[in-house]
Amino acid sequence: MDWLFFGEISLAGLAMGGLYALIGLGFVIIYKATRVINFAIGEIMMFAAYLFLAFAGGMEMSPWVALPLAVLGGSLLGGVIEKVMIRPMLGESSISVVMVTIGIASILVGVVEMIWGADPQLLPDFLPRKPVFIGEMYLAPKIAYGFLIGAAMLIIYLLYFRFSRGGVALRATASDQAAAYSMGINVRRVFNLAWVFGSLAASLAGVLVAATGGLSPQFGAIGLSVLVVVIVGGLDSIVGALVAGVFIGWLETVAGAYLGGEYRMPATFAVLAVILVFRPYGLFGTHDIERV
Amino acid sequence: MFKSILDKSRRLVGVGSMAAALAVAAPVMAQDKEPIVFGGSIPLSGVFAFAGVHLHAGLTDYTTWINSEGGINGHPVKYVMEDTGYEVDRSVAAFKKITGSNKVPVYYGDSTGFMKTIASELNSRGTTLMSGASFATALTDNEQYPYQFIPGPNYSQMFGIILEYIATQGKDGDMPTIAFVYSDTEFGKDPIENGKAKAAEMGIKVVEEIVTKPGSVDVSAEILKLRRVRPDFVVFHGYVLSPINEFMVQMRQMGLDTQFMGTFWSSDKLIINKMGADADGYMGVMPYNYYDSAESGPMLDALRATAEKSDPDAGYRPTGYMQGWFNAMVWTEVIKRTMDAGKELTAENMADSLASIENWDTGGIIGVPVTVQDMSFPVGRIWRVNAKEARYEPVSDWIHLD
Repeated sequence: MDWLFFGEISLAGLAMGGLYALIGLGFVIIYKATRVINFAIGEIMMFAAYLFLAFAGGMEMSPWVALPLAVLGGSLLGGVIEKVMIRPMLGESSISVVMVTIGIASILVGVVEMIWGADPQLLPDFLPRKPVFIGEMYLAPKIAYGFLIGAAMLIIYLLYFRFSRGGVALRATASDQAAAYSMGINVRRVFNLAWVFGSLAASLAGVLVAATGGLSPQFGAIGLSVLVVVIVGGLDSIVGALVAGVFIGWLETVAGAYLGGEYRMPATFAVLAVILVFRPYGLFGTHDIERV
Repeated sequence: MFKSILDKSRRLVGVGSMAAALAVAAPVMAQDKEPIVFGGSIPLSGVFAFAGVHLHAGLTDYTTWINSEGGINGHPVKYVMEDTGYEVDRSVAAFKKITGSNKVPVYYGDSTGFMKTIASELNSRGTTLMSGASFATALTDNEQYPYQFIPGPNYSQMFGIILEYIATQGKDGDMPTIAFVYSDTEFGKDPIENGKAKAAEMGIKVVEEIVTKPGSVDVSAEILKLRRVRPDFVVFHGYVLSPINEFMVQMRQMGLDTQFMGTFWSSDKLIINKMGADADGYMGVMPYNYYDSAESGPMLDALRATAEKSDPDAGYRPTGYMQGWFNAMVWTEVIKRTMDAGKELTAENMADSLASIENWDTGGIIGVPVTVQDMSFPVGRIWRVNAKEARYEPVSDWIHLD
């Protein structure tokens, strides 16, 4: 066994997994607070990446100005979606809300095709191009720096949820909406905040993933990989999203390297099937017990 | 962003005025003879729209040009199409609608999936000859698809042309080594088995085979595999842009002197426009001369003049445009040959006319006279990106496979 090769591909997989974890976090924040499964998360990522392309490419802004602007634009989009399209659905069946998010995904693809066209795109280079070596192990610079930016964002999020008033309100609403409401927490505002923060995490991941793998109106399909991550980790578990994101990223990469690219998806879906059989609520998800 | 919307609007206005011009011109020409209809399921939206808009422009402009030349044996030509969104069911519906209300001798199919799906109906009708955006090897199976042809080499033949070129690049009597990188799709897998067989026959060693997941993915693990086998050439298939850029950039960062090649849909200017200087040295197999190449010929000049007239602001016309134009050129040649032989425009008669094409001068669209073999034109040339000039330049002669 070539251990150096195994180490190199594991590093690449873990780094990619870090970005999956960030997208998964965006998914989980929204679900945890509002109980909405957001099928438009991939398209929100895509929209933010196109915003980055417009700012850094079309308007020739510095990428380091374009990046926060694009991420803020993506999070603003999340807030608007919640206010205009999700909030009126409060009280409706979860299937109806899911269908609304699928509709939003289609609308975003249409909007992107209308504005930027259907051509595949590459984002302007903004990450260092010098190869990164950890010991003797090579790591592609885009992946390495993308992981570092993603990890920094993850740490900021965890600190925010742990220590800030907004974070506490969000966690309180997630654990018991009625109790949070009776304690004076503005639950509607928390719902909106959850969409803004969830979309912000997804938007940053969107720009970083598009910087590595390119961008097109079909970019949102990456949401499917992330759905596996959050189901394996547990739909309402932030820790679950982080652990499962890193694990699925690693597994996909190792399966692709040793078995061939066609086994990337089957490998992750096999894990998903096993998890669903033994822990249907995910590795770290809440096990709801209904007493009749 | 807004400029892009304005550009599109202006082009739509251009297309609209052209349609109006056609509507005025066609009745004058149609006074004597019945129009010949070119039908088409065209992907103006959806995942293939990046090429569909140019295919459509090529077909539209050719129709304008042929009508200005008096049509086909005095018959005016009418181009009737529907947008399909690159969805098979919509393509089938468009086919039924267009052939239901017109007599359609030739038809443009937007995908391999559609062309395979419609094959049995096409065979039982026996009225229409079809070609389109697909270069799929399977469609050159004359038993199963007798009324469908490929307007160039099929994907396996493209690999054949690439391998012929690679075989001439060995040093000190050694054959270069190659790796195939392709997407995990029907499109991506198409030429791989035939490519491996052809490479083995020619003594070229395939040192690695990489399959990538479709969509936006990280390929650094796959690149690490290639670093270990250090191929002289990497041949891509099943992509338009990504992840070709990542393979090229990362492998060069690793200090490898590998050369990179691709097939038709990954050999357009898009690679140069999006990758910039990183695209330098990338090579593609192309059956047609590029719009901005130094080549010329009566038909190539007519194409450039018509394109310039129909949309003066468009500038460079992508390979999809050339493909649309060439498709319509072949249809015209086939219809003309069938009419000149005094035969009815049935699918069988037109397929016979197509098979009779030998040493056909395409007026500079393809740089050498071409001969149809197994319902395809197995000819192409290797072109290399000169990033400084932002264009492809030929690095081989035209290669016509036997």
